[in-house]
Order: sequence, then structure tokens, then C-alpha cells
Amino acid sequence: MAAPQGHLSPAEGAYRSEPQVRAIARLRGVRKVFQRGAERITVLDGLDLEVPDGSFEALMGPSGSGKTTLLNLIAGLDRPTAGTIEVAGANLTDMTDGELARWRARTIGFIFQSYNLMPVLTALENVELPLLLTKLPAAERRKRARTALRVVGLEHRLHHFPRQLSGGQEQRVAIARALVSDPQIIVADEPTGDLDRHSADEILDLLERLNKEFRKTILMVTHDPHAAERATIIRRLDKGALT
Amino acid sequence: MNLPLLAVRNVMRNRFRTTLTICGVAVAVLCFVLLRTVVYSWTVAVDQAASDRIGTRHKITFIMPLPRRYIDEIRSVPGVTAATWMNWFGGKDPKNERDFFATIAVDSRSFLTVYDEIVVPPEDLERWYQDRKGALVGDALAKKKGWKVGDRITLVGTIFPGEWEFHISGIYTATRKSVDRSTLWFHWDYLNESLPERLRDTLGWVVSRVSDPARTAEISKAIDARFEDRDVQTLSMSERALNLSFMGMLSAVLTAVDIVSVVILVIMMLILGNTIAMGVRERTAEYGVLRAIGFWPRHLAAFVLGEGMITGLLGGALGLLLSYPIVEQGLGRWVEENMGALFPYFRVPWPTAALALTLALVLGVVASLIPAWRAARLDVITALRRMD
Amino acid sequence: MIPVAYNLRSLAVRRTTTLATAFGVALVVFVLASARMLSEGIRRTLGQGGRADTAIVLRKGSDAELASSIEEPMVGLVLAAPGVARDSRGGGLGVGEVVVVITMEKAGMPGQVSNVLVRGVPDHVMQLRPEVRIVAGRPARPGTDEVIIGQRIAGRFVGLELGRSFELRKNRPVVVVGVFAAEGSSFESEIWGDLNTVRNSFGREGIVSSVRVRLESPAKFDAFAAAVAQDKQLGLEAMRETDFLRKASEGTAEFVGILGMLIALFFSIGAMIGAMITMYASIASRQREIGTLRALGFSRLSILASFLLEAVLLALLGGLVGAGMSLLMGFVRFSMINFATWSEVVFSFSPTVEIIGSALAFAAGMGVLGGLLPAVRAARLSPLQAIRG
Repeated sequence: MAAPQGHLSPAEGAYRSEPQVRAIARLRGVRKVFQRGAERITVLDGLDLEVPDGSFEALMGPSGSGKTTLLNLIAGLDRPTAGTIEVAGANLTDMTDGELARWRARTIGFIFQSYNLMPVLTALENVELPLLLTKLPAAERRKRARTALRVVGLEHRLHHFPRQLSGGQEQRVAIARALVSDPQIIVADEPTGDLDRHSADEILDLLERLNKEFRKTILMVTHDPHAAERATIIRRLDKGALT
Repeated sequence: MNLPLLAVRNVMRNRFRTTLTICGVAVAVLCFVLLRTVVYSWTVAVDQAASDRIGTRHKITFIMPLPRRYIDEIRSVPGVTAATWMNWFGGKDPKNERDFFATIAVDSRSFLTVYDEIVVPPEDLERWYQDRKGALVGDALAKKKGWKVGDRITLVGTIFPGEWEFHISGIYTATRKSVDRSTLWFHWDYLNESLPERLRDTLGWVVSRVSDPARTAEISKAIDARFEDRDVQTLSMSERALNLSFMGMLSAVLTAVDIVSVVILVIMMLILGNTIAMGVRERTAEYGVLRAIGFWPRHLAAFVLGEGMITGLLGGALGLLLSYPIVEQGLGRWVEENMGALFPYFRVPWPTAALALTLALVLGVVASLIPAWRAARLDVITALRRMD
Repeated sequence: MIPVAYNLRSLAVRRTTTLATAFGVALVVFVLASARMLSEGIRRTLGQGGRADTAIVLRKGSDAELASSIEEPMVGLVLAAPGVARDSRGGGLGVGEVVVVITMEKAGMPGQVSNVLVRGVPDHVMQLRPEVRIVAGRPARPGTDEVIIGQRIAGRFVGLELGRSFELRKNRPVVVVGVFAAEGSSFESEIWGDLNTVRNSFGREGIVSSVRVRLESPAKFDAFAAAVAQDKQLGLEAMRETDFLRKASEGTAEFVGILGMLIALFFSIGAMIGAMITMYASIASRQREIGTLRALGFSRLSILASFLLEAVLLALLGGLVGAGMSLLMGFVRFSMINFATWSEVVFSFSPTVEIIGSALAFAAGMGVLGGLLPAVRAARLSPLQAIRG
């Protein structure tokens, strides 16, 4: 695969065996407490974490261990109760909601367990969606969306609606959507949770490729050991602490 | 693809519900247009009244006439260029006593000089002048009754007893919307000569034209001043004020219609708001995703408002589309023929149509304000969790 | 049978939607009930004061007192007709009255004029109308320029206040000495003066507008009417007072009644669509629940009944609110032209059990019509399909 432009082209020196030492995400003393009625639940308690740039990390742990919360914090969807979070050179704890939204659009690509595509939009339009936040002209947006769909191998399904696609295909559209704005980090919450083994493998292949070929840092929450095997780093979270 | 397109697609998503909502809005807009048309056609008599005409009647009561000689005195008042008089006859069609239409005895010599907006074909007019029992009828009345030129008809007098014969000499139309096109005009001489001596030679009321519309108030005062010291005093006002005072008696009805037309707008908003709110509730997770990938709360609010706007507009357009044939083809004609005295011109005015459409659009936005606010202040994490 | 509590809680869970839909129904019921209450008020006001044992005589061809004129000598002939009750002096119990309309300025609205009905009554009028009571001031002395006014127009026009005066004709001021009530009938929107004073002021010497007579019994009407009609010379015709007043109120009451009904009908389509949308959405989001109910063994019929019931409850909730709102209209006075006399009459909104009951039934009907299709859809869901979602 060779993209015609710089956009989404394989990085120079791909297939590096060693991940870069520089950390793309740095968490210091992160605490997250939820208030549920009268009850206070401490999900994360003084967590420190460094995610090296270009790594493919799998976060594992039993339900309620706080792995999704951790992912949300790094992705700038949620704010910690205490501690600092620095991702891709930005101090998330200092940013306003608006700044966070802008930052997410630039920096993070999202993949969800249940794909979360807009049912009223075609595959191409779904992928194009994040680009609406940029100032790119319409033709350019469409070209990039096509390129992203080509990367995930769905160039023949551009004008299909989500309900006309299989689960694996839907998830590939979702990956293309995560990829299209060329973010540095892709967060994936149980990306294979709803898929059969064969489709799951395809998705994992794709994620591996994004990591190696496009040098995207990937943070994946999963409870499937088979999926976690593909990661370069596996972290286990239990009761709010890394083990 | 662009953002408005997403709003359009969302509107079309639950096609069945959207169709129902659009129908609901359409019915509401239809009601609104009908009600506003009632108010409009009621006020058209005032808005379209001639500004250069003055009516003069008995000061204390409309049921008492003026002495005959008053007409000459009024004609001599400076500023009055022409004057005519008429008497209410109050005839009824014995075949259908419930049918109301005005029957008025007019001075045929001066009538059309003062009422120059009434159009009668020249040959009809000639026929009328020649025939003592001749009558001019409005086109709406003629159509309803099936009267043609040359017909002989008999009416029963409610004020002047007995059976009265009339000949249809001609059909009139009008260039002004304030003219009741279901009146029967006939010769005052015919009435006067048929009455017993002591009831003769009275003027029901006098209508004058003035040289300068700006001076109607002043000339009205001059007329009334002339009769100030007489036994029978007069009350003069511009045609506009006269019509206005008549409407004043119906002002409570107008107010009621006004209130009701606001109520229908509220109902419309409830239907719209409900639908939009349901859509937002069902799409919570999608809004969560949009927020996650970097859309702002105000983007989501705009989506929701856009949906409301589109639905409101579609419903409004459908309602207008429906109201047009209903009023123009059916209701309007029926009302003009049967209630011409109250509603001389019952048609949907353009400003009302435009207002209805604008309101449908605006209310679409207002109705989606709460859902939009909800969508905007959605907590991303909660919204996303709802999906899984 | 699925318990009603299930429906009630379901409605409570989707609070906003429930309230919005119910409020829509409430507005429709409000409009419907108010229009019917006004129509009833008009009927009562114009139709009241009519007695079955009273007949009114007008000149043949005139259907309103205002248009009718009868020569004075004929009054005696009418009173002497068979069936007429005797008064204390042995004469026929009846009154010849003259009815005119005067233009008056509305109080507090300079330049705004309206018409008020003036009735010239003979001194023994109260014998015929025992229901008329003086509520302020005193009765007018016969043969003077004193008048009494109905309580509903008191204060609504310039000069219509106790102790104030106004002109019936030039240089002929009359003084208001009393205010009367007449059981809510349209007399309460009239001015009553001495018969001769009114006649002289309006050049109606020797003429009355109508003759009202008390009959020995309601059954005597036919004989009386026949006697009046028989004398072609008289040119008169008799009507039962109740019939006359009903006829006079018909046009105005019908006008308001029909207008209100039409509006409510159109509105109800809107509200019904609203209820339908709500119920469809409610069922769509409860597919699993419905499937579970079916799996538990509830029949299609009980599902249908349950959802229909929910729609009816929703509409009834709105209906109650709307009916309550319409009852508040009882405090509103509505002044409108009476098409029969071209003068202003003040009406009130009269609630009746029947009106409120039928408004609620109307609401329930909207619930049934709006809920039927959605309920059918719910009942047709197969349990498997429903559980799958």
C-alpha cells in the first residue's frame, strides 16, 4: 500500500524493532473518585504511568478495575480527581472543555467495542465526519476519507450504510474514522469484544499495522488474552493500581 | 457530506415518526392559518374601508332615521363633494328564512357616485335605472341563490310588513375587499312610495364623500355641528371608524380567536418538542461519540436545532399547501356567500401564509431548545457507557 | 391482565414526554370545554327568562322585538284573547313594551361606542317578571325619567352607574336609580325605562314593539296563538316565550358552538398525533419488556389492552388538567354582540356536568384513537423478536 500524499503514508524507517524511549503519555499520581449517590468509589488511586511513543499497549484487568476510566483519562474524555496527565505534549489537566475537544480532534482516534458508527451515514461519510472539524475543502476531505478506507481494505464499500456491513467491516470503518485525522494516538476500548475470532484477528492485524507501518501509539483495553498478545506492552490493572 | 446533511439524515431516520410529526405540525399550521384568516377577513372591512367617506346617522340610535332635508344640508357642508343616503330594509327570502343577506334601499341617482368601488356592467345599470322595482345583487349572493338578470323575486319585509317584489337588474362586483358582495340594493323611491304617509321621506343614514381624506375628522365635526341645535342630532364618522365601532362589538370574539390561535401554536410546539426530545434520547450514544471525536457541545445543539427547524419547516409547508385549496376552493367561497356581511373577503392573505411558515420554523427551533440543551450538556462518559 | 401500576409507572418514568403529550391533550380539552361553556352561557343568558306559560306577540314577519311594531289599541285586544291570565284588577296579565337600541360610549375606552338595548316598560312589569330583583338603589318611579339598569352592564358604559344620567334624546336626560338582577338572563344587559318616556324620546308614541302575556297555563298557548293569528286585521303572531328566546339565541350560540367544535376537532387531530408519537416511541423502547411479558404468558389481547389503557390514562391526565383550566374561565365575562338585537350582551362561561364529562370522554377518545395503532403493533410483536430487541 502506498498513499499518494504525505497523509497516511508509511513513516520513514518503519518496521523498527525498538520503540522510541520518549513517553507520549505521562500520568503522575492520578486519582479518580466517582460519587455514586452517597457512596464514593475510588477507581484509580495515585497511579503513575508512562506510555512510550509508538508503543502498542494492552490494558487488561477484571471488570471494574478502572481500565476504561484510565483510557478515558488519557483520551481527554474525563478529568482526574487529582494528579497530572500529559499527553502528546499537552497538559490535559489545565485545559478547558473546548480546548480538550479541539485537542481530541487533532490527537486521538477512537475505536469502540460496538463500533458506534452513525447509522444514517455511509461508510465514506462516517469516516469523513471528524474532518468536518477541520478547515479542509470538501474534495480534500473526501479524498482523505477514501484513502483511510483503502487502508482498512474497504474501498469497495464506500457507499454502504453500517447496517449493510458485517460487524468486522463496521469495526474497520470505525478504525478508518479513527485514522482519518492522522492522530498520534489511537485508543480502542474492547475493539474485538463483539466480534468472532476471524474478524477479531483481522482487526488486530490492522491495529498492528497501524502501529508498525503508521507509527500510531495504540492503547487498547481488552480482557481477551488472545488480543493482548499482539501488543508490545501488556499492563494489568487491578483495583485501581497497575500490577 | 456536511453538518446540515447529518441533521437532514437524522430527521429522515425514523421516517414514520417524522411523518406523523410533520402531519401534526401541518394540522396545527392549517388551524393557525384558518384562524388568522378569520381575524384578517374581519379586519379587512376596517383596513380596506374608504378613507374619503363619512357616514352620518342619528346621534342616539341607529334605529331612528334622519329627516329628508338633511341630505341637502350635508351636501352644502364645505369639503363634501357628494352625498347619498340609504335605508335598511331587512328583507328575507320566504323560501329560506334562515339565509341572511342585507337588503338596502339606496338613492339610485347618487349611490354609485359615492360608492365608486362598486362595479356594474353599463347595460345592467341602464336596466336598473329604468326599472322601479329593479335591484342590484352582489355576485356572491347571486351565485348562492341562483339568481340571474331578469329574474323576479319576492322578499318578505321584517321592518316594513308584506311581500315585496323585485326584479334582478344587474349583478355587481367590487374593486375593494371591504364590500359585501352579497347585498341586494334597490331603489329608495320604490320603498318610499310604498310606505304609509307618516313613515315616508326619511333617511336611514347618509354617506358623503369628501375632497380631502385627511380632513374627514374635521368635516365630520362640521356636519354634526350643523345639526347641533336641531331636534335630531347626528353622529358622523369616517367609514373606517364606523366599521371599527361595529367590530368593537365583536372584539371579544376576535380576542378569543387570537388566544386560540396561540394555543394551537403551543400544541404544535409540544408535538415538535416531544419528537425531537425522543430522537435526542435515542441517539444519546451517538452524541457521545461525536463529542469524543472532538465535536463541541454547540455542534450537537446545532444538529438538534437544525432537526427542529427542518421538521417545523416541512410541516409548515405541508400545512400551507393544504390550507390553500381548502380556503380558496371551498371554505372561502362558502363563507363569502353565507356570511358576507361579517366576512366580505375570506381568503388567505400572503402575510398570514408567510407568518405561518416563519412561525413553524421559529417554533421548530424553540421546541428543540430544551432537547438541544440536553444534548449539549451530555456527559460524554455516561453517553458512551449507555451504548455498551 | 397486566396490572395498571405497570402503565402508571411507565408513564412516570418517561416524565417529560408524558407531560408534554398530556399538556397537548389538556389544551384541546380546554378549548373544547371553554367553547361549549360559552355556547351554554349564551344559551342560558339569551334563553333564560323564558317561561312556558308566557307568550310573546310580535308583528307578523318580524322575528325580533326590535323590528316589530304594534299599534297601542291592539295591546288591549291581545290581552283580551282567550287563555290570558287575569291580574289583580281583573284585566289580562300582560305588558306591551317598546324596545330600542342606543349608542353609548364604553367606560374607560374613549371613542369606543357600542349599542345598548333600552326597554320601555309599563309600571306593572314586575307582576309579569317576578324574577327581576333590585340589587342596588331602588325601583324607578312610573311615569318619570328614571331608569334601572341590568347588573351586567352596570359600569361598562359611560353614564351607566347608580346616580349618573345619560340622554335618551336631546335635552332629555334620564337618571339611573337602580340596578337589577334577572337570574342571569339577557335582561341583565338592558336598560329599563318608563314606557312613555322611551316612546316619546324615540318618536314611537302609540306604538309598542311586543306584547308579553301570562297564560292561565302552558297548555292554553295553542288556543291563544290561534286567536291572535285568526284576526288577520291584527297582523300579529304569537310565540311561546321559551321558543322565541331559543330562536333568538340560536344564531349566536350556534355560531360560537360550531366555531368552537370545529377548532377543537382540528386541534384534537394534532393532539392525537402527539399521543400516537409518544405511544409508538414508548413501545419501541419497551420491546424487550413486551417480549418478556409475552414470554411470561400474557396474551396478545392483554398486551393490547394494557397499552390502550396506558394511552387512555395519558389522555385522561391531560383531560383533567384541561377541564380544570376551563373551569377557571368561569371567572371571565365575555361581552359580545347579540345578532338578534345588534346590541351588546355580556355572557359568562357556564360549566355543566355534561360539558365537563363529555370533554373528559373526548380526551379518553383521543387516547383510544391515538393509542390503538401503537397498541396493535405492541400486541403483534412475537416474544422472540421482542426479546432480541
